[in-house]
Amino acid sequence: MTAPSPHPPSPQPPVSTTARTEAQGGDRRLPGDIDMWVMVLGDLFFFGCYFIVYMVFRAQSVEEFSAAQRHLHIGVGVVNTVVLLTSSLFAARAVIAVREGALDGARRLLWATGGCGVLFVLLKIYEWHDGLSHGRTIHDEFFSYYYVFTGLHLVHLALGLLVLGVALRELRAVGRQRPTIVEQSVLFWHMIDLLWVVIFALLYLMR
Amino acid sequence: MTSTATLPADGSAAPQKAGKREVWIVYWAFTIFYLALTIGVCFLGRATPPPRPDVSQAQAAAWFDQHQLGIQIGFTFLLMIAGGAAIANGIVGYFMKRMSSGKMLAYAYIATMGVGAIPGFQVILVCWLTAVFRPDREPRILYMLYDLGMLSYNGSLGCFTAAYTVVAIAVIYDKNHIFPKWFAYVTIWQIVTELLASQMWLYKSGAFAWNGMITLYLALVIFGVWITCFLALFRIAAKRESAQTPALYEPEGSR
Amino acid sequence: MPPTTTEASKRDKRAIGVSWAVLAAATVLAWLLTPGESEATTTVGKELVAVIVVLAAIKGRLIIRYFMEVRHAPRWLRHTTDAWLAILWTTLLTLYLI
Repeated sequence: MTAPSPHPPSPQPPVSTTARTEAQGGDRRLPGDIDMWVMVLGDLFFFGCYFIVYMVFRAQSVEEFSAAQRHLHIGVGVVNTVVLLTSSLFAARAVIAVREGALDGARRLLWATGGCGVLFVLLKIYEWHDGLSHGRTIHDEFFSYYYVFTGLHLVHLALGLLVLGVALRELRAVGRQRPTIVEQSVLFWHMIDLLWVVIFALLYLMR
Repeated sequence: MTSTATLPADGSAAPQKAGKREVWIVYWAFTIFYLALTIGVCFLGRATPPPRPDVSQAQAAAWFDQHQLGIQIGFTFLLMIAGGAAIANGIVGYFMKRMSSGKMLAYAYIATMGVGAIPGFQVILVCWLTAVFRPDREPRILYMLYDLGMLSYNGSLGCFTAAYTVVAIAVIYDKNHIFPKWFAYVTIWQIVTELLASQMWLYKSGAFAWNGMITLYLALVIFGVWITCFLALFRIAAKRESAQTPALYEPEGSR
Repeated sequence: MPPTTTEASKRDKRAIGVSWAVLAAATVLAWLLTPGESEATTTVGKELVAVIVVLAAIKGRLIIRYFMEVRHAPRWLRHTTDAWLAILWTTLLTLYLI
């Protein structure tokens, strides 16, 4: 797998603004903190296990799964993906804004992130409602996975909104902002985005 | 923790080492209780790995017959030591009270886990013991006890999610660094697996049944990670308590 | 603290913007490649699934490297996240194809 870098991967010097915690040794630093990485890596591992279990069960009844998967609206899924990707763009920009000391900008960007998150939830509710009103319930094996995975993802998204709220509160306090809090929150948000990219490909596209 | 040492009149020189030995005794009680629980549930009671959820009346009755002695020995023993759950809650509550996030969360943890032990632990013991000590009852009644025991044991989630939430919040807001913050996040996975366990009421086979890959086996891995971290962190926290660590029952100002 | 814009943060912003554009383009591309709901074929072709998997893996790596800033992170983290992507997608694709 090659790195699809948008520009040549030149070794970059560490960004040293007053707000950015310096690397311990060398020009490498951990974004956020180790605690949040324990969460993110653990979550990725366990979600990975869930996805593999889904694929194992799908392999046992490909026809049924594939037929059910074709009921999903890829269009809604694409819009959902782009909404979440955009929210991540705002979140990533917010971290840079905090490092630059542009706190008002960072606050606006975090609100925009949360806004996109709420939009995602609304689209998901519409999709669930549409599915249920067409009788696609958990009696269908594929849809049981669909509801569990998207539901679990929504739980994470709700947690993510809470965590964004923590970051916003941190930015409100005058003069004692800790950029690492914003970094940690945003890290969690990106993980939600990353998991959705896998869920989208797995449930909507690989049919 | 249970010491009732009364404070001297001047409120200064409480027995400084008092807290420590109790902490270690309870720590070992906690560890041994969970070890006994694992042996009793896995090897004697056969509740983990579980029997199949999709059996018929006759099969359920035959299953009880087959494992009669193991369940009788294992679950009777567990019924006798069931109070160990409360002692385990005690040490968690003790360290939670050491946190700066407030005693209220410690009380909430103790209470929710105390209530949760009934559906999550006692009900399966009572149901299955009834079944193996009264094998002459109708198969359909045994069948009911079979389902009731398993669903109560694995599918009771409300109290546990509350307890885990309380631990996570306490660890995140604690400024005394009793437990590291990553443990709060590991606890959040426990909440997620409890939510997933709600699925086992709906399915009799597949990944979401009570013997399912997602609802049971992956949840067990997460529980194993969680309880191992928990015990290791208790060890560290208990070791850190020196002779100078003030006991909990000293007046607020001296802590 | 007055706002400070350094060369590095300008570069970071540009990198994030380009990543977003590539991610959105990859999403739409995968959509265009996938046959619509009414198509009669039960499963999509094997080559197409391979393309979908590669696109999704690239998307995951972009999110990890540029949004999560793992490209600035220590080596162990870069390797762990790469290993997760590689193992997950290889397993999923293998299970799909068998």
